[in-house]
Amino acid sequence: MTVPIVLVVSISLFLQGHNLPGGGFIGGVLTTAAFVLIYVAYNLDFLESGVLGREVETGTSIFEHRTVTAYRRMLLAGLVVVLGSGFGGMIIGDPFLTQGYVHLDGIPIYHEVELASALVFDLGVYLVVVGSLLTIVSVVSGE
Amino acid sequence: MAPDLTIVTTAVALPFVAAALSPLLYRVLGERTGYAGAVVAATSFGLLATGGNGYGTVGAPWVPALDVGIRFTVDGWGLLFALLASGIGVLVFVYSAEYMHGEEALARYYAALLAFMGSILGVALASDLVFVFLFWELTSLCSFVLIGHHTDDAESRYSARMAMVVTVGGGLCLLAGLLMLAAAARGALGGVTFDLTAMIANDEAMRASLRESGLFVPALGLIVAAAAAKSAQVPLHFWLPNAMVAPTPVSAFLHSATMVKVGVYFLGRVRPLLMSPEWVWLVATLGLLTMTVGALLAVAATDTKELLAYSTASHLGLMVAGFGLDIVYGGEAGAFHLLNHALFKAPLFLVAGIVAHEAGTRNLENLGGLWRELPITAAITGVTALSMAGIPPLNGFYSKELLFEATYEVAHEAGGLAWLYPAVATLASVLTVVYSVKFLALFFGERRAPTADVHRPPVALVGPPAVLAVAAVVVSVAPQLAVDAVVQGAVDATATGEARLEVGLPTHLSPPVAMSAVAVFGGAAAYPLRERLAAGVRRGVGAPIPVRPSGWYDWIVSTTEATSARFGPAVHNGLLRTYVGWVAAAGSLLALAGFAAAGGSLGIDGAGVPLAVAVVLGVATLAGVAVATAASHVSGVLTLSILGFMLAIFFILASAPDLALTQLVVETLVLLIFLLVLQRLPSFYSEVRPLAIARDAGVSVLVGAMAFVAVLSTIPGPDAAPTSVATYYTEQAVPGGGGTNVVNVILVDFRAFDTLGELLVVTIAAIAILVLVTMRTRGEVAETEAEEGPIPDGGDSP
Repeated sequence: MTVPIVLVVSISLFLQGHNLPGGGFIGGVLTTAAFVLIYVAYNLDFLESGVLGREVETGTSIFEHRTVTAYRRMLLAGLVVVLGSGFGGMIIGDPFLTQGYVHLDGIPIYHEVELASALVFDLGVYLVVVGSLLTIVSVVSGE
Repeated sequence: MAPDLTIVTTAVALPFVAAALSPLLYRVLGERTGYAGAVVAATSFGLLATGGNGYGTVGAPWVPALDVGIRFTVDGWGLLFALLASGIGVLVFVYSAEYMHGEEALARYYAALLAFMGSILGVALASDLVFVFLFWELTSLCSFVLIGHHTDDAESRYSARMAMVVTVGGGLCLLAGLLMLAAAARGALGGVTFDLTAMIANDEAMRASLRESGLFVPALGLIVAAAAAKSAQVPLHFWLPNAMVAPTPVSAFLHSATMVKVGVYFLGRVRPLLMSPEWVWLVATLGLLTMTVGALLAVAATDTKELLAYSTASHLGLMVAGFGLDIVYGGEAGAFHLLNHALFKAPLFLVAGIVAHEAGTRNLENLGGLWRELPITAAITGVTALSMAGIPPLNGFYSKELLFEATYEVAHEAGGLAWLYPAVATLASVLTVVYSVKFLALFFGERRAPTADVHRPPVALVGPPAVLAVAAVVVSVAPQLAVDAVVQGAVDATATGEARLEVGLPTHLSPPVAMSAVAVFGGAAAYPLRERLAAGVRRGVGAPIPVRPSGWYDWIVSTTEATSARFGPAVHNGLLRTYVGWVAAAGSLLALAGFAAAGGSLGIDGAGVPLAVAVVLGVATLAGVAVATAASHVSGVLTLSILGFMLAIFFILASAPDLALTQLVVETLVLLIFLLVLQRLPSFYSEVRPLAIARDAGVSVLVGAMAFVAVLSTIPGPDAAPTSVATYYTEQAVPGGGGTNVVNVILVDFRAFDTLGELLVVTIAAIAILVLVTMRTRGEVAETEAEEGPIPDGGDSP
């Protein structure tokens, strides 16, 4: 199974994005590619039946399919995260979408960790990309 | 002493706030919302009348880089117009509360009326061209809503649309004209500015700058065209009588007292700025022509409101003509008549409403001698209609006399053809007397009334016109009082030089007095001939299109509709692939035309390309050729990904790891998606038509050329130093954004707003595809091409 490896790579790309090549968009597209690989190899229901071990509801249209609904929610959640990170700064008086960062020292193993608020924004980007691309792919392939 | 910004802003903003709240108010107050509107209008009136604290310009910056600001100028001219609008507003709201009894959609009616009043106050006081335009268009919009109040009536909808097309079309001319002024101000005032007051203060420099750039005549023409559309000047007068399908209070308020005067108002405002021989020629001629044509059409009218509408156009022509003449009396005539016309025309409209309400008809043929039933209304009409006719000593006489004086003086100086000015003015005044008496015949003379009983109107209907008639009488008796109170300030603001307005009854026979005498006695003599005159006018109106502007309007609208009905199916024939062809071809053509217009040379330097890059790009080109000639979809798609991966390698060679990564993952995803949809496509191409190939090749070449030119002309050369923006990003990435990946810091920090926009694009793409697929299952669009979905958002990645 290459898919878990792809997923891990995509998440690491997403996390390192601020300092090394990568970021929310690239990570998102790679994650999408991983899921699409599953579709090509199996089908839309494999995630539910094969991975999560749940019963698959049959007979519903592609738009009400549980996985597709989940993707749509992901898209929405991404937008909420992006806007939330934008408005979050406004609470402490910064303009819309202002980002900040702090360096944390003395953390075990990593010694020094940088926490950037931009990561939250990037998480939103990631969610929107994954959600929308997977919605598109699954709906189109369902046809 | 400068006026208080808070007070002026409150006076303008209050009606808008009330408009937003009016659905709520209506729920609480019901039909008494009209009185609430009257309170709002009275508050604005009171604020402006007392809190102005003298003249001046106040403001707060909005877009400092362009010098756009929330700027208000309080001067005599703006204040006169604003007080008129809010003062008549009070009366119209009171009248509406009674007149609109039992009507539908009152919440919308009052919201539009309130918003309209706020827009008028805004136009009158705004000093910033951006705001002038904004409020100007808002008045057109509110007028559209109010004319189309009876939404289920086809005539009402037709008239509303006509008013909208004409006035908003004029508004577009205004926008172009104002931008020309702003462009000229850059030369004249040394900087980008939209401040009209500053432009007027430096009128000579502005004129010189406009003339230098050759924009003087275009700007003048556009502004006059905009004013003519708004103020119903010939040949754009035809929308005004149609607008009379609106409820009567709307006609009285918008289409006689305020909105149609916006054009006149603005002409008065820019008069000191644009005064020139061209201005005189254009504006004075336009005004006198409208004065005559409007009066002729009013004589021929058979409906009370139609008569008043044409008469309004005619009187607007009088004001325009006054402002058109480059003489002190001209500006005085325009400014003073603005007040006088509002004082006699608004009550006449309200009277027409009372008559329609109580007698049940608006047909002039069936009405007469109504003074027995409606004595107070008859008295009001007596004063105001005679004032409209310009009979001394009523107020309409004074301003008309000023126009006569202006035309006479101009003709006396210029001689020759200029004598047509006084001649035409006198002719129009003769006709004015005729139609004024015709309107008066509603109440006097032989009794003709419908069989139904004519009731006494309630106080709320008679009160407002009575107040205005009393004001007209006050101005008639003591004209100098009104002049000193408000008009002199307006005259100062619109005059091109020193002007001291003195009015009073003439004491000796001068040429203008003789002209008035000719008008009054000529009108009395011509009154018995009115039926023959009217028949002649109606024959003219019935003539074929060339002399009938409304015919032109209908022709333009129907032709546009027919053309778009043909054009639409040709471009949007339901096949998504043709949509793509049209969009790509038209977009590329426009972009190429833009590059061609902007000029500039394309530097192509192939010498500095490293071998590795050349090899990679060469392979990519070969792959492109192979895609085009591939025998099946599968081989085509696979070859296409060669092209994509070559590009990724190119990015790596060009040291852009982020782009390369993105390209790689997108390429992988696109390949996977293609694999998903391939099974739905036919495995081999059907027979190909040479014509279709030629068309597709044409579109492709066009898109390719556009991309090529765009890249070459926008990127800096290989040896150019980084731009200041690029340097800033590189330097600030670590201290400002806390990340060493500049691309990512730009995306999520420096330009996060752009990224937000792109996310919305991605979301919209997802929604669009959902909708497309849904519609396909409903059978509305048969050709949803699945492969077109993922490509657009694969391409918008950073």
